[in-house]
Amino acid sequence: MLLPPIIYEIATLAVFFCIYNVMTWGLNIQFGAAGILNFTYITFMAIGAYVAAVFSLPPQTPGTGVTYVLGLNWPFPLPQVMGGVAAGALGFVVGLVALKRLRSDYLAIVTLAVGSIIYTFVGNFTQLFSGWDGVVGVPEPINNWINLDLNTYEIFYVVVVLAVMLLAWFFTHRLFASPLGRTMRAVREDGDVAEAFGKNTFRIRMLAMVLGCAYAGVAGALLVGYTGAFSPDGWTVGETFVIWAVLLVGGRGNIVGTMLGCFLIVVVFVEGTRFLPTGFLSPNLVATLRNMVIGGLLILTLRFRPEGILPEPRRHFAEIRKGSPEAERAGAS
Amino acid sequence: MPAPAEDPILEVADMHHAFGGLHAVDGCSFAIARGALAAVIGPNGAGKSTMVNVVSGALPSQRGRIRFDGSDITGWVPHRIARRGLIRTFQISREFGGMTVLENLLVTAPDQPGERLWNALFRPALGRRRDRELVSQALEVLDTFELYSLRDEYARTLSGGQKRLLELARAVMAEPKLLLLDEPMAGVNPALIDRLGRHIQRLNAQGITFVLIEHNLEVVERICDHVVVMAVGRTLATGRMAELRRNPEVVTAYLGGGHLERATG
Repeated sequence: MLLPPIIYEIATLAVFFCIYNVMTWGLNIQFGAAGILNFTYITFMAIGAYVAAVFSLPPQTPGTGVTYVLGLNWPFPLPQVMGGVAAGALGFVVGLVALKRLRSDYLAIVTLAVGSIIYTFVGNFTQLFSGWDGVVGVPEPINNWINLDLNTYEIFYVVVVLAVMLLAWFFTHRLFASPLGRTMRAVREDGDVAEAFGKNTFRIRMLAMVLGCAYAGVAGALLVGYTGAFSPDGWTVGETFVIWAVLLVGGRGNIVGTMLGCFLIVVVFVEGTRFLPTGFLSPNLVATLRNMVIGGLLILTLRFRPEGILPEPRRHFAEIRKGSPEAERAGAS
Repeated sequence: MPAPAEDPILEVADMHHAFGGLHAVDGCSFAIARGALAAVIGPNGAGKSTMVNVVSGALPSQRGRIRFDGSDITGWVPHRIARRGLIRTFQISREFGGMTVLENLLVTAPDQPGERLWNALFRPALGRRRDRELVSQALEVLDTFELYSLRDEYARTLSGGQKRLLELARAVMAEPKLLLLDEPMAGVNPALIDRLGRHIQRLNAQGITFVLIEHNLEVVERICDHVVVMAVGRTLATGRMAELRRNPEVVTAYLGGGHLERATG
């Protein structure tokens, strides 16, 4: 199958769009719904990526210099599931430390510190995920069964990540529409009051933490299946803030807003700028300008539209308002 | 010193709470009868708010016992105490600002199966079914508090007085056995004080026990049947307001004497 090159470029953008949507919805659950300031969100994406990598890679070959644990050769979708589970488990451990007592800004500092510790640990403990060099040669999910060529597989992978994105959309939507989502928002608005009304705020925040981290882990697993390699370069602190920018520009607490933010920031600015004609701009300049533009966009949003482009939707209960006192009065008169 | 209340719903015995060297509550004991409309009064710094925080579990209990509705709730975490039926409010209005008025009521209701993760993700009908009951219940409550027309407004856009009403309406939705209100009349205009007072009396008649932390002694005298006076972290006296006004110990402690007649907040 041979299609015009533009199709493959669009496919690349589509893959990133879907993966970043999953990732940002996870942060949307944590911050948008439950108000958890997780400033090391990218770490959970990275853990998902690494774990998925070592579950899908064959055992390490001695002498190659690439060292990693496990190497189980598991087939899709098990490594991806394990990536989500591992990130969720790490989120649980961080939550045990950070969510019990700490609020907003203190929690944010703890997450930054935890991220920094994990980053340094993964980089230096080379037995785990091959240190600063990172894991390479991660197999393409499913392709050992269907044996597609590189270009065709690219199109196929769009379908895979799109399916996962739809699944993530489904669960996020259900959560946000549920009483649990409402209680998460109450905890976000005022944790002490929610607690005083019988809500186990620790449990509620922990659910959001674990669930959001699992989203990040799955997204990371999908990313490493696409790029085939993953190293600490791929999850610096700055990467976390790209996801934050997506969430805040799109609109926290809004599922479609996240998609919009994702399109604007990830597709147009981060990945889209890769396709800019080089020659009149040096590649380094493009990268620097890209970050400046994203930063500027974030500042403009926070200044002029602090709720984001699409704010959190106001919940109405129209379908069950029939028989309300007002309606009865109107009917009686 | 606990008052001999028959069938007490809340018993505080020898409560202590110190912030470092400051003994905010220092041997406070009292009992509230089931169905009472009681008040806790006392000069600033008497330890009333600290007492509320310890009773509701927001601050740890350092000594003494607290019994509520047949259970020893000493040392329980706040949400467990709340689920047992003891609901407290805060001195300043603390509405869930980014949620609608109706949602503020829905979220405080107990027994919502949709709050479990599994049900939220895989059995949404359970949550919706309970919500249907809660919405009709909440709309009735909003109607009685004359907040019905504001049901879909964000709570943060309400006026100060409306927020006070919302606090009470929201507390009612939590189906409390006892409502512990920390200065519900603070910063409220006289007309609204009247309305709040009538709401409290109405709810009390429906069977909810009330404990008001209140500075407005006129209101206390008018609506409360039992008053606990606190000073320097202890229970100074208990009884009806009219008796307490003649108690020289109370008069001395309260605003240095003499002011008790006129002190209204």
